[in-house]
Amino acid sequence: MIKPPVEELEKYYKTIRAPKMRLILSVQAEASRAVRGWLDSNGFLELLPPIIGPVTDPGIRGAKQATIDYYGKEYKVMSSAILYKQMLATALDKIYFFSPNIRLEPIESAQTGRHLVEFVQIDIEEADVDYKAAMATAEQLLSHTVNHVAEKMKKELDQLGRTLPRFRTPFRKITHAEAVEILKSYGEPVNPHAEIPWPQEEKLSKIIDEPFFIIDYPRGARGFYDKEDPARPGILKDFDLMYPEGYGEAASGAEREYEYSKVLARLRESGENPAKYGWYLDMLREGIRPTSGFGIGVERLTRYLCGLKAVWEARPYPKVAGVYSP
Amino acid sequence: MKTSSIISLLLRLFRKPSALQSFRKFVQQYPVEELVSKATKGRQAIFPLSELDEFGKAILGAPIYLEAPLRYDTLEKILIVPPLYTPLRLKKMEDLMREPLFTDVETTCTIGGFSSSLPVAVASMGSTPVYNKISLAVSKASAKIGIPIGIGENVATVWGYSKRVKPSQPCFKERIMAYLDNLRDGFGGVFIQQSVEDAYDELWNRVYSDPDITPYIYEGKVAFEVKLGQGAKPGLGGETFVERETALRLSEKYSFDADPKTTNKQMYERHSAPGTYTPEILRSMIRLLHNNYPRAKIWIKFGPYRDLADVAALCDEEKVDAFWVDGKEGGTGLSPVTALKDLGLPLLAVLGKISRLKQRVDMDFICSGRIIDGGDAVKVLCFGAFAGIGRPVVVAAYANGGDGVEKYFEALKTEIQLLTSAVGKYRLQDLGLEDVAAVDRQLALDLGIRSVYD
Repeated sequence: MIKPPVEELEKYYKTIRAPKMRLILSVQAEASRAVRGWLDSNGFLELLPPIIGPVTDPGIRGAKQATIDYYGKEYKVMSSAILYKQMLATALDKIYFFSPNIRLEPIESAQTGRHLVEFVQIDIEEADVDYKAAMATAEQLLSHTVNHVAEKMKKELDQLGRTLPRFRTPFRKITHAEAVEILKSYGEPVNPHAEIPWPQEEKLSKIIDEPFFIIDYPRGARGFYDKEDPARPGILKDFDLMYPEGYGEAASGAEREYEYSKVLARLRESGENPAKYGWYLDMLREGIRPTSGFGIGVERLTRYLCGLKAVWEARPYPKVAGVYSP
Repeated sequence: MKTSSIISLLLRLFRKPSALQSFRKFVQQYPVEELVSKATKGRQAIFPLSELDEFGKAILGAPIYLEAPLRYDTLEKILIVPPLYTPLRLKKMEDLMREPLFTDVETTCTIGGFSSSLPVAVASMGSTPVYNKISLAVSKASAKIGIPIGIGENVATVWGYSKRVKPSQPCFKERIMAYLDNLRDGFGGVFIQQSVEDAYDELWNRVYSDPDITPYIYEGKVAFEVKLGQGAKPGLGGETFVERETALRLSEKYSFDADPKTTNKQMYERHSAPGTYTPEILRSMIRLLHNNYPRAKIWIKFGPYRDLADVAALCDEEKVDAFWVDGKEGGTGLSPVTALKDLGLPLLAVLGKISRLKQRVDMDFICSGRIIDGGDAVKVLCFGAFAGIGRPVVVAAYANGGDGVEKYFEALKTEIQLLTSAVGKYRLQDLGLEDVAAVDRQLALDLGIRSVYD
């Protein structure tokens, strides 16, 4: 747990003048170029991200959505553009965008060093592929980006005191159940039916000191759009990609549930009235292609590349839960 | 007599002429007088010999008999049956080095992860104006006494989250903070419901990320209560009447008997959905709650459904903290008459199922449904459940404000202590099926207890 530097955040116009910030933001810009370069040359089409819509991804680990008044109707600011990614991949095959997201996270997230209320995800989605293909894309993209930045930004990274390990594919894969067992053997029992809590995730990322996937989360641990494996009821075809060295989650992805009746039943798990998802359900009812995809947090990527203590160092004007800063 | 003043108070809240008739019936069929007496006199009301008119009643037993036979068995058909030989009293005497008194009965307990000064919890009452109006008094009084309280569904959606949408009606945040800010040290906790419509506004996410509530979540004082049903109307959703102005504001989130945008009438029926469940949906829903709100406790509010045993077993497996079951006599808020008459299992049937379930699950059960006095509460405790209280606090609050609620609970505590000590027990967990008997042999057999004639 790290305390956010409230004063530095409140007077951010001063904080950003520190020489270190120029280094960090240059690394970030280079990483973004590397990501775009790799995706563009692999046939992914960059699109403009949605900012608002009638619905967004429902609550993620207790985070609240931001609401705006849209000509008398409530619209949501994207907490994740996942529903749109399914729309776009169905139409355009392989897509990505840099998607700004808002999640009003619980106050305790302010001290994880890994959560911001406002952040950017590189959102990637591909039609007609399974989650293994999505993992292959994720590991190649991340390896390319990390190795490229390590080389191209060596001077900046040296000044930041950061040496990056060389990433090699394929990454190791462990199941969620195995992750739970490993943590248990290290004296860290966790709920086998839930996502791995933040401190334990960090610990696991130190224990397995190389980039790795946690795959096959249990149903109930993730959103309704992660596909349940028909051959293994209760198990989802999804993954988290983890950084080594205790930096925790890099990306989160899945094969998507895309059949109307299955989505409807899964939507009930969040206790919501499916009617709220109007356009999305219309789209599913009329039929979409199966898709898989993932999202990489830009600030977390920057934090890892630069070896920073917290994500609030990894972007301009960071918003930390409960802190009123510009 | 204060009864009449309550009725006039209640009536002011309603504009329909038929309300008078409804309230007359309510007063006839519900022990309003008894509750008003407790709310104004507190413990004194337990000892009727202190007043002549009450003395008459005690001798004649007027309120003991039912006016008309009910079509199903109620707690009235069970009696608490003390023995002379009381080994646990002897044990208590050894501890105390004197003869134990009823005041030596320890009423403190843990309910659904909250510590409570009494084996009771205040039911989740929702947005209904009659309750919402007095909800702050009930919240404060329950906090002072140190018992858990629920906040029912639709409060934030209908009356606002942190700002009042109507000057006379407290909003959600006022209700929760009136309780949490006044909480007796080391006691209590609040459980919050979210209807399908509240989910539209993400009530639980909002609570979980609210800086004013966060410290209490850290202290373990907050639970989220999944509402699966309600006593008098299992299988049906929430129903209420709202004025046009409210109907217009809520038209996106609820369904109404007529579209307030195109029709113009004084009151609109507001329907909310009961929600659709399968074992997979419920299991995943509970797991999702544990996943999303690791610091909150999870309570389940169940209606008198016939598959109680299956659902309770699933909830126990998924480690919910408390499982609340309304008998059909409870959760009567704005239920259709036909449902009140014919829908669901009566409390006694629910208790029978729970006493059998308690042999294999160790989750906390809370039962409600016309539980009014200490006798009712002790009977419920004997079957292995805690007592859920709803209507009595409403009547007590209308009779004498927050003070009335405190006095009601003070009286309830004394009655629980009296009856528990009468069977020779001084810890609530020692109460068991041996302490009750049915006045009917078949009922005794069905419930696995003795008949009074055995």
